[in-house]
Amino acid sequence: MDNNSNQGSIRFSDANIVYPNGTVGMKDLNLEIKPGEFVVIVGSSGAGKSTLLRAINGLNKMTSGTVEVDGEAVPQKDGRELRLLRKRVGMIFQDFRLVKRLTVMSNVLIGRLAHVPGWRAMLNLWPAHDKEVAMKALERVSITEKAWVKASQLSGGQQQRVGIARALAQEPAIILADEPVASLDPVTTHQIMQDLVRINRELGITTLVNLHFLDLARKYGQRIIGLRFGELVYDGSAKTVTDEDFRDIYGRDFTEDDVLDEDVVG
Amino acid sequence: MSTQTGLLQPQKRIGWATWATFIIAALFLWSLIAIEFSPGRMIQVPAQVARVLSFFYPADMAYGWSAVLPAIMESIQIAWIGTIIAAILSLPLALFGARTLFPRMARLVKLISATARAFPEILLAIYFVPIVGLGAFAGALAIGISSVGMLTKLGAEVVESIDFGPVEAVEASGGSRILALRYAVVPQVLPEIVAHWLFRFELNIRASAVLGVVGAGGVGGVLLNTLRYRHFEKAAAVLLLTIIVVLVIDMVSGEIRRKIIRG
Amino acid sequence: MSAVPAKPPRNWLAWGGTIAFLVAMTWWSAHGIGFSLTELLCNLAGGSRLLQESWPPDFAFLPRLYEPFMETINIAIIGTVVGGILSIPVAVLAARNLTLGRVTWFVDRNFMNILRTLPDLFWAMLFATAVGFGPVAGALALSVFTVAVISKLWSESLEAIDMGMPEAVRAVGGTWLQMVQFGAIPQGLQHYVSYALYAFELNVRASMVLGLVGAGGIGMILEVQRANFEYERVSMIILAVLVAVLIIEQISETIRRRLE
Repeated sequence: MDNNSNQGSIRFSDANIVYPNGTVGMKDLNLEIKPGEFVVIVGSSGAGKSTLLRAINGLNKMTSGTVEVDGEAVPQKDGRELRLLRKRVGMIFQDFRLVKRLTVMSNVLIGRLAHVPGWRAMLNLWPAHDKEVAMKALERVSITEKAWVKASQLSGGQQQRVGIARALAQEPAIILADEPVASLDPVTTHQIMQDLVRINRELGITTLVNLHFLDLARKYGQRIIGLRFGELVYDGSAKTVTDEDFRDIYGRDFTEDDVLDEDVVG
Repeated sequence: MSTQTGLLQPQKRIGWATWATFIIAALFLWSLIAIEFSPGRMIQVPAQVARVLSFFYPADMAYGWSAVLPAIMESIQIAWIGTIIAAILSLPLALFGARTLFPRMARLVKLISATARAFPEILLAIYFVPIVGLGAFAGALAIGISSVGMLTKLGAEVVESIDFGPVEAVEASGGSRILALRYAVVPQVLPEIVAHWLFRFELNIRASAVLGVVGAGGVGGVLLNTLRYRHFEKAAAVLLLTIIVVLVIDMVSGEIRRKIIRG
Repeated sequence: MSAVPAKPPRNWLAWGGTIAFLVAMTWWSAHGIGFSLTELLCNLAGGSRLLQESWPPDFAFLPRLYEPFMETINIAIIGTVVGGILSIPVAVLAARNLTLGRVTWFVDRNFMNILRTLPDLFWAMLFATAVGFGPVAGALALSVFTVAVISKLWSESLEAIDMGMPEAVRAVGGTWLQMVQFGAIPQGLQHYVSYALYAFELNVRASMVLGLVGAGGIGMILEVQRANFEYERVSMIILAVLVAVLIIEQISETIRRRLE
């Protein structure tokens, strides 16, 4: 797999997103993320965490301002150019978003769709190279033994690993993980977070993770970004972040709902 | 008054049902009078039916094997080709008819499918017979066109009910809309859609059986002729064989449908 | 890569068998019915002439459609009401949870399935032979057809009802009839009305073509005009039928949706 350590920078400049119903998703955001960083984004629900991630691959469009990936502005209308950008940006979802009736392998190959000629993709005729990339992606999340099993037969944690493998199969410069552990149990949560951190270290893929749990953010984050009502309210190292900072981000005292392992409260 | 609303509510509903029954009864009586279906006439019906039925025994099975079975086979062939035509045409139409995927195009597609559904097959066959000539081919086209309507409607409903997460996942990885249909929509909907095809095939066998009446091939023409010339033993063979063949096809097709949906 | 399992081989026998069956069936059918695109293309000229002859529809003919059209509606109403009433016992006895014993259930269920095998026009031909040409034959044919449609659908929804009420009626000493009447039917009533309306839609559509075999209604005029190659009139009749069917379906569907 290609080492992408010299790619994967992101820059938001005076970026604003207002939804059609008037909700502000992003407000005057200026942010720079360097290649290979592992960034955790925190904030209460509705703070604009998803909006930020989905702006990077153009799933959400800018109202004003720009977002750039490797110095190129993210196209603001659907089409070939946006697809070429998305090819370099993998995404992992809270609800996995696998096609349950297809095998694990077919789901991972979805990550290769933009890499092969359209007619081959339509006819399900995958070049050997792409199948190998998909298999290696499965290997990285150690789930190769399930390659030919239907996705519907996997547990939640296994499904999310397939989701990660699908993103890895894109050989991306950036991985966006939108609440990747929100529907998993505590043990699986730590495994998935460790996988993400390991992949970031080994492959140098810039990784942005939205998290709801503060202790996870502190434990796995390198850099923490805090959002509140679409505005950047915190940006700093995970090592130096204090409970006080979290209180500012959330605008309230936090409770046991905000942490995964209850013994960390207080 | 306002305090009694709770008490009045159920009474109101009873009134509604009574009105409906009354209207239906009135329509029914009006219809009976209009077609001159007098009580005297009604009493005769069982005897008439019994008398004709008695002529049906024994069924002329020699005629059954030599003339009826080939006609039934032709009906099956008509239904099969009609279903295949409809399946091929309705698959893309069902995708474009899904409100959730193509909001604007869906309205047009649904209008077309409603119009196609409103035609009884046999009226379409009346047009196709002069165009492609007397025979089974006209029947297959008529069945195909009229099935497209229903299969499109049912298919679009299946597509509208799926999980759209994977569609976004495909698009987020750089896949085009068409590839999203191919990988995220089609695998989710295909089993249900194929089951609908099979169900429609069961219905089409019945539809194709009657097309012979207007000269579009199949067993219907045979039944019409045997009854017209009062060859009741031969007509009995037509009915007997049709019932058996359709029952067997229903059973097999129903079993396959259940397997497809489960697997 | 030691943990990589080999791709499981496809079940070629099942796959190949299915595909071979589909291809063979399609080839056999296409051959049998004389499917040919060349013939279709060659006949397009004749087809376009036919369409020209059909256009414009002969609107002057419209008033003469009124009477047979009303007869068609009458046939559909009688068929739905008679069939709707007769289908109640057939459906109840075919529901596994309500029936009067295994033998009754078995006989009734097979009776129902056999009724379902024959298409509407077959019944029309049979009754036209038995009671003579005319709307009475059509009304009887649609009555049988309606029993076939409603009883199958309704027996399935009766099997899905909550058995608490019927058992309670039995527990307080109610007879079988009382159990069905007070315990079961109220729960299935909404479905019944919905299926009856659906049967009415089918009947309206069917009644338009019953006349082709002499069973009354607008189809009888259609048959005469078709035999005389009066295609402006044929297209007028078809247009009228289409509009009427669409309107009646809309009304029926609106009522059905209200009920849900």
